[in-house]
Amino acid sequence: MSAIESASLRLYWPAQRQRNRGAGGLLIVVAAFLALYAYLFPGLLSVGGVAKFAQSWLPLAMVSMAQAILMLAGGVSLAIGAMVSLGAVIAATTMAGPLGVAGGAALVMIAGLGVGAACGVIVVRLGLPAIVVTLAASFIVGGAALLILPRPGGTIPAWLSDLLAGDKPVAAWLVIAVVVFWKLYLATPLGLSLYAAGENPDAAYRAGVPVDAARILAYAVSGLLATCAGLFVAAKTGSGDPVIGEAFTLNSIAAAVLGGVGFLGGKGAMRGALAGSLLLSVMINVMYFLGFPPVAHYIAQGLIIIGAVALPEFSARRRAL
Amino acid sequence: MPAPTLAARGVSKSFFGNAVLREVSIALQPGRIHALLGENGAGKSTLINILSGALLPDAGAVEIDGRVFRGLNPRDAHRAGIAVVQQELGLTTQLSIAENIGIGALPRRYGLIDYRGLARRARAAMDLVGLNEDLATPVGDLPLGRRQMVEIARALFREPRVLILDEPTSSLSAHEVETLTALLDRLRAKGTAILYISHRLNEVMRLCQHVTVLKDGVVTADRPIEGVEAADLVRLMVGRDTGHLFPAWTPSADRDPILQVSGLSSGVLRDIDMSIRRGEVLGIGGLVGQGQEDLLLSLYGALPASARTAEFNRQRNLPASVRRANALGLAYVPADRKREGLHLIHAIGWNLMLPSLARAFSLSLRDRSKERVLATALADRFAIKGDLTRQVRALSGGNQQKVALAKWTPAEPQVWLLNDPTRGVDVETKREIYALLRRLASEGKAIVLSSSDTPELVHLCDRVAVMREGRIVATIEREALSEGAIVAAAMGADPLRTAA
Repeated sequence: MSAIESASLRLYWPAQRQRNRGAGGLLIVVAAFLALYAYLFPGLLSVGGVAKFAQSWLPLAMVSMAQAILMLAGGVSLAIGAMVSLGAVIAATTMAGPLGVAGGAALVMIAGLGVGAACGVIVVRLGLPAIVVTLAASFIVGGAALLILPRPGGTIPAWLSDLLAGDKPVAAWLVIAVVVFWKLYLATPLGLSLYAAGENPDAAYRAGVPVDAARILAYAVSGLLATCAGLFVAAKTGSGDPVIGEAFTLNSIAAAVLGGVGFLGGKGAMRGALAGSLLLSVMINVMYFLGFPPVAHYIAQGLIIIGAVALPEFSARRRAL
Repeated sequence: MPAPTLAARGVSKSFFGNAVLREVSIALQPGRIHALLGENGAGKSTLINILSGALLPDAGAVEIDGRVFRGLNPRDAHRAGIAVVQQELGLTTQLSIAENIGIGALPRRYGLIDYRGLARRARAAMDLVGLNEDLATPVGDLPLGRRQMVEIARALFREPRVLILDEPTSSLSAHEVETLTALLDRLRAKGTAILYISHRLNEVMRLCQHVTVLKDGVVTADRPIEGVEAADLVRLMVGRDTGHLFPAWTPSADRDPILQVSGLSSGVLRDIDMSIRRGEVLGIGGLVGQGQEDLLLSLYGALPASARTAEFNRQRNLPASVRRANALGLAYVPADRKREGLHLIHAIGWNLMLPSLARAFSLSLRDRSKERVLATALADRFAIKGDLTRQVRALSGGNQQKVALAKWTPAEPQVWLLNDPTRGVDVETKREIYALLRRLASEGKAIVLSSSDTPELVHLCDRVAVMREGRIVATIEREALSEGAIVAAAMGADPLRTAA
């Protein structure tokens, strides 16, 4: 094969680069915030600093991905927070017991995959609205978490907490591992089908895309990511808390929306959702260092979300005229 | 003759009690381009969907290579080598051209997508249709015509034994059409069985060897195309028995126009000149989606439009908003009554009163008893069946349409803009609506009737303007009105042309 021919046949990386378009503005904002954060807190630029920051970011990054997968598939989940709590309490009640860390982790993953797939089957096969099904699931899963562990408690083996949330930047490696996992997922035919199934399910079905399977798998993977985020949260705090996940539901939607993932399916990319979650995490830290009261970031978060949705919308309308 | 590659044997299909196909048979032979012709709503798309497994027939069967398939689904059809180029584009805008071409049949290696193989094979399919864009270009960046070529490349990627194309040329440029016809000829020579749906008769006569004509879900012709004249094909598509559906036509049109525009452009509309007189029913004909809806909406102030001159009710401009249009005496009844014409979950009475409420002084309190009297009178006059407090959703399609029409009468509009008012309506209601239209005309109202039902235009209208690609291509006067004349104008057919 000649050099010219092989150049015109490059596909994977050019296609990846194309998906960066539209995320440019967000990446600049994220970079600016990161630079400001590093200026305010020079300790960030050390192994320990990276480790601590990655630990504060990882759970939000994972739930944002869990949410974005479903939004890409044309759905949404209000059960993300409850799934995080479920993962946390399962980890805290099993890992110190006879099942051990491996057994407990397996149980966390099975619960995430199973509950996620169950939601997916109900939404996809029975044709019920995702928002209602996952609202119901948030009560059921949240209730189950409270039944397993009625009040904060349980234990995570100390060595696991030290490994995941100690001075070494393991959490940063985990972020990379999750990204690699997502890249592999999207490089499978069923993973890529997510975009087609989300944007136009009827046309995708006619093109021979296994639409139902792609969407149900998305729900299962979403559940897996959420309960694993719960495991990490439990390891960070050393114990389980049955309501620790609550804030993650809306924050996951916020990060995905910030990242340009649309509610109608098929629009946006996972890198956007990840950048959105990074922006939210950095912003909280920056505002803390600038001396704002601890809860002021809620207001800033709201303003940024409105801005992030409005700006591309307005520029698109101007182009359309 | 060998067993056809793909065939339908006596298939029937109904939607909500309306028979769309009745015992239709069609056989696609290898190495032959087979044309499927028919008017709007003749059942062409339904037949394609059945052949490709997207719909299951109520009766009859689909055969592939002589083997009967029951419960055929799109994946089975793909595996059997059947590929369809749909009329509505179904591409994923965020994915690259190559990913779109391959999706649903992606080559894999170790469980992952084989991007190298995909690139090679997608490039080959793109070369066939003359797409020289970069493989990685997102489909969202392409103009409509190029997207249509991507759809065709997607079908070719599967190396089909049967290729079904549903109006593939409607959004293509002349050059792209040429590329496509040359390609189809090559595929035919290689033994592919091709089913070609098009409204452009000249194209069909040049390209195809065999033709099946559908009319109202029944096959009216299945024969080689050699020796057939375009006029014969038109005749086979039209000419439904209409019985006593239509009221007697008596002229009631004034001499002077009530509404007149020239040089109207908006959306897909290009340079439209038209006028309508009091007491006249002006038909708007043509194939589906040639700008008929945009025309009605721009007259109604719902689409921004520009016109060289416009005059309506002694006003010098087109209405700038729907509110203004209503105040000037215009009413619009949309084609999609469920979404645009009615509030389905609200009561019949409430729907009937909505335009009147909108006209009342904004802060005045509603007079419920007066509303009830008015709504009851309207329901009586239009024979709308059912308790007025019930949801509109519970009514049949015909009764819903009567609500959508009746709600405007208290406003006494001078000009009625009607968009396909009898779509999905039962015969009895059709008769009532037709009588209503002529009665309104005899009362001196002007009616613009856009319809996909050609007999309707022939029997109700004083004149019919036929649209194609955003322009009025012909205006046919009452004396010259016939289904053949309308269909011929809509398809741009030269009625004397004979197939080579």
